[in-house]
Amino acid sequence: MSTNVPAIEIDHLVRRYGRTDAVNDLSLRVAAGRCYGFFGRNGAGKTTTIKCLLNLLRPTSGRARVFGLDPARDEVAVKSRVAYVPDNVAFYPWMSVRETLDYFAAFRPRWNDDTERALVDRFRLDVRQKTSHLSKGQRTQLALITAICAETELLVLDEPTSGLDPIVRREFIETVIGAYQEGEAARRTVFVSTHLIAEFEGLIDEFTIIEHGRDVLTLEADVARERYQKVYARFSSELADLDVAGARVLRRGGREIELVVNGNSGEVLDRLKARSPETLTSEALTLEEIFVNALQPGGAAA
Amino acid sequence: MQFQLNFKSGKPVYLQLVDQVKAAAASGAVRPGEPLPSIRPLAEQLRVNRNTVAKAYSELESQHVIETVAGKGSVISAAGSPFKKDVRLKLLTHEIDDAVVQAHHLQIAKDDFLRVAEDRFDAFHHKRTGHP
Repeated sequence: MSTNVPAIEIDHLVRRYGRTDAVNDLSLRVAAGRCYGFFGRNGAGKTTTIKCLLNLLRPTSGRARVFGLDPARDEVAVKSRVAYVPDNVAFYPWMSVRETLDYFAAFRPRWNDDTERALVDRFRLDVRQKTSHLSKGQRTQLALITAICAETELLVLDEPTSGLDPIVRREFIETVIGAYQEGEAARRTVFVSTHLIAEFEGLIDEFTIIEHGRDVLTLEADVARERYQKVYARFSSELADLDVAGARVLRRGGREIELVVNGNSGEVLDRLKARSPETLTSEALTLEEIFVNALQPGGAAA
Repeated sequence: MQFQLNFKSGKPVYLQLVDQVKAAAASGAVRPGEPLPSIRPLAEQLRVNRNTVAKAYSELESQHVIETVAGKGSVISAAGSPFKKDVRLKLLTHEIDDAVVQAHHLQIAKDDFLRVAEDRFDAFHHKRTGHP
């Protein structure tokens, strides 16, 4: 099989609820082996998009493909290659943890028992406990185990860590890095939707920010951090005529100014240096700051 | 060895790892033959993608800073760069250019700059040999 087939390919996807466009002409492509971040505020259209990938919703128009397959026509083929941790995890309440794991394993052509044991230990889950008695964090951990043990090529995580405590979040992310990526890393693709961006910062190769169902910004994480810089300058006196065209002013008062530049940091820095600042510093924006910046009016451009 | 990542530096994460291994090797914090952590535990510890660590290691390997030894994984190579001296000097020139620009910006004169450079050479030498 060709490795050039993208794990996910979304072309001009539209999904309407009544008169509301939850997803509005969205296109993106996730190459196999990548860890792709899908960032947006609550209600931006992330879950709707994911549901179109898994045939839980039909697109109004446009198309979604998983490994080149149509999720509606080739539903079984798609689902056998994808594991999914939804934002709201629900299990059969009468089943124990053990029964739930066996139930999920029964649907899967592959199931890694060693990984299952290791993760049940790591999360300190009691396999005899009924799933109805699990905390929210434990339910998410159980869902993650069911997703990872199947060793699928694509792992889709929808807001996996919201509402979890910091320790559970940390373990969750380490598990995705460790246990999931352990086998054939080049063929293990992660697609994670979240608005808690900081904790996934190191994991993300590439991301798309969506707002109102549209792509606001798609970039490689390293490129984004190189391109978006926060610049701070302090001058010996107030400069009313300072030219800051091409930058977005975060703060300006007295002798100080703080700016965000996008790809033109050299040029802006040169202009500031020409005015002999007392102090001039620049640092990259984190992905979370890039996200916040991109959702400001005119933010993606400047 | 100890790694420290800074997402605000604007430098690609894998390059930060590459530079830190090189610095550790130059200062003697890691010695030839000593192993680096394997990819999975390091990725988990730093909470970064495994691909990032793998890319850093393959870059270090292609620069002959580390080598793969059967049964030991990635270890620091014996000193001795495979590059010819002019190539090595050229690699260094970029770094020095950055420092010179920075010095100009901070209004550090050439004499002071060279004195700092000499101090740093001595500091690294002391670290490596353990003598003051």
